Amino acid sequence: MIKVAELNELNNGERKSVFIEDIPSLLFRVEDSYYAIEDVCTHDGQPLGEGECVGTTIRCPRHGAKFDIQTGKALCMPAINPVQTFLVEQREDGIYAGL
Amino acid sequence: MTTTQTSQPGFSTQTFEAFLATREEPDWLTERRRQAFELFLEKQHTELPAEEYRRVDLRSFRPEKYTHNSFVDQQELSLSSFSTLLAERAEFGGRVVHVDSQCRQSELAEELQAKGVVFGSLNELLKTHEELIKTYLMTQCVAAETDRFSAWHAAFWTDGTVLYVPRGVRVDQPLYSLIAQAQEFGADFSHTLVILEDAAEATLLEETCSHEGIVEGAHIGAVELIVGAEAHLRYVQLQDWAERHIHIAHQRGRVGQNGRIQWTVGALGSRIAHIHQDVDLDAPGSEAQVNGITFASERQLLSFYTQQTHHDHHAVSDLLYKEVARDTARVIWRGMIKVDEAAQKTDGYQRSDALILSPDARVDAIPGLEIEADDVRCTHGATAGQVDQDQVLYCMSRGVNRVEAMHLIVNGFFAQVFDRIPVEAVRETLAQAVERRLGFVEQE
Repeated sequence: MIKVAELNELNNGERKSVFIEDIPSLLFRVEDSYYAIEDVCTHDGQPLGEGECVGTTIRCPRHGAKFDIQTGKALCMPAINPVQTFLVEQREDGIYAGL
Repeated sequence: MTTTQTSQPGFSTQTFEAFLATREEPDWLTERRRQAFELFLEKQHTELPAEEYRRVDLRSFRPEKYTHNSFVDQQELSLSSFSTLLAERAEFGGRVVHVDSQCRQSELAEELQAKGVVFGSLNELLKTHEELIKTYLMTQCVAAETDRFSAWHAAFWTDGTVLYVPRGVRVDQPLYSLIAQAQEFGADFSHTLVILEDAAEATLLEETCSHEGIVEGAHIGAVELIVGAEAHLRYVQLQDWAERHIHIAHQRGRVGQNGRIQWTVGALGSRIAHIHQDVDLDAPGSEAQVNGITFASERQLLSFYTQQTHHDHHAVSDLLYKEVARDTARVIWRGMIKVDEAAQKTDGYQRSDALILSPDARVDAIPGLEIEADDVRCTHGATAGQVDQDQVLYCMSRGVNRVEAMHLIVNGFFAQVFDRIPVEAVRETLAQAVERRLGFVEQE
């Protein structure tokens, strides 16, 4: 696992673009939990990037597909395939993520 | 094997000046490099074309991770320690081998030398055939100003392979060129330049590969193929870089009156490959046959942007790509036939067929036509689909197990393009490489 953020770097509801195993990814903080998913919409293969995130659901900014950032599951059309998720750990010196 | 990166990671102005200091080159070339570097700096801060790069995701390509091969410690490695596909497959009339952008071997049969054929390292030939290189190097085919990557290559190219065949000379035996990478995180900027004068004929087989144990590197390359009137070139490039390699290249061929090019590309390796393959039919009666074979697996992204441009009348171009994608791989093919107003009686054809072996694999095939003449025949098409389960069932009903059935079907899928490849050694090599990659199909 690699360090992707400092503790307290993200506030509740914020996100950060990171590379995990060289894969462009998004790290989210929701309340006191952290989640990481690959930064790609499985519908069109382009970044989810700044897509609106409500709770643990991110919406693709282009066509409106939604994904659960906890499980990666596609929640609404036009996406049908899940997005990859990563393991995230809070350690004493920061937030770590990996496959 | 040890890997040492001595200095200068990235591609800053400081790196460029340090690079120039390692070169002993004529002023015209240094000036061309400086102009290209200026362009590179400018284009580096310009957005890449959205239409092209929304499919080719380069976010994980971070140039600062790589060190130009001029700044890595060169090692003495046995050439047999590279897993090449073609090196031992045929008797060659000449052979040029580059490892980490350094020429390690350069030989050409004496009878070909006597006929005036030139085949060797770009750096060496720059000393002995300066006028030839000055005339053709990045002046007719690949232009530095095309985009960020062509400018980058023009500024930083290190070495490469040059083939020059004089007027009327026919080279019967194929020639071989190897571009190999032995340094982790090394950046290779090899250049290939082929010049066939009028009525000349030659076959060049080129391959790229990484040393065993090497995982990651970058190749920003260029290929220039200049085919004179009545000349005939067969050019094959097999790309088999390591699993996390980045391969970005501009490749362009120009064909003169009644000249002919048969151009085959095979893409097997690398994490991301993005190739512009353009062929220009410059004069009446010119002919181009383009064959492409790609096999993508795991998280590979293999992208080919092809263009057949007809500048004059009665020219023929015929492109056939066959692509296989499995796991979560992605294959992109964007093909274009352009026909100028003067290119009446053009016969242009392009076709891409894709076989998708896994539910999460993806293929984007985008054929296109831009025709300004009014008396032409241009046809294009693209297909994409999964393996027909009826075919699998049929094979199994004949006593063939599922894995063997998949092998048969995939080989059958590629057969049409294999049949067009003019060199038997290449056909066999590609068939075996596909077989090797398919070994994992047992999980199906």
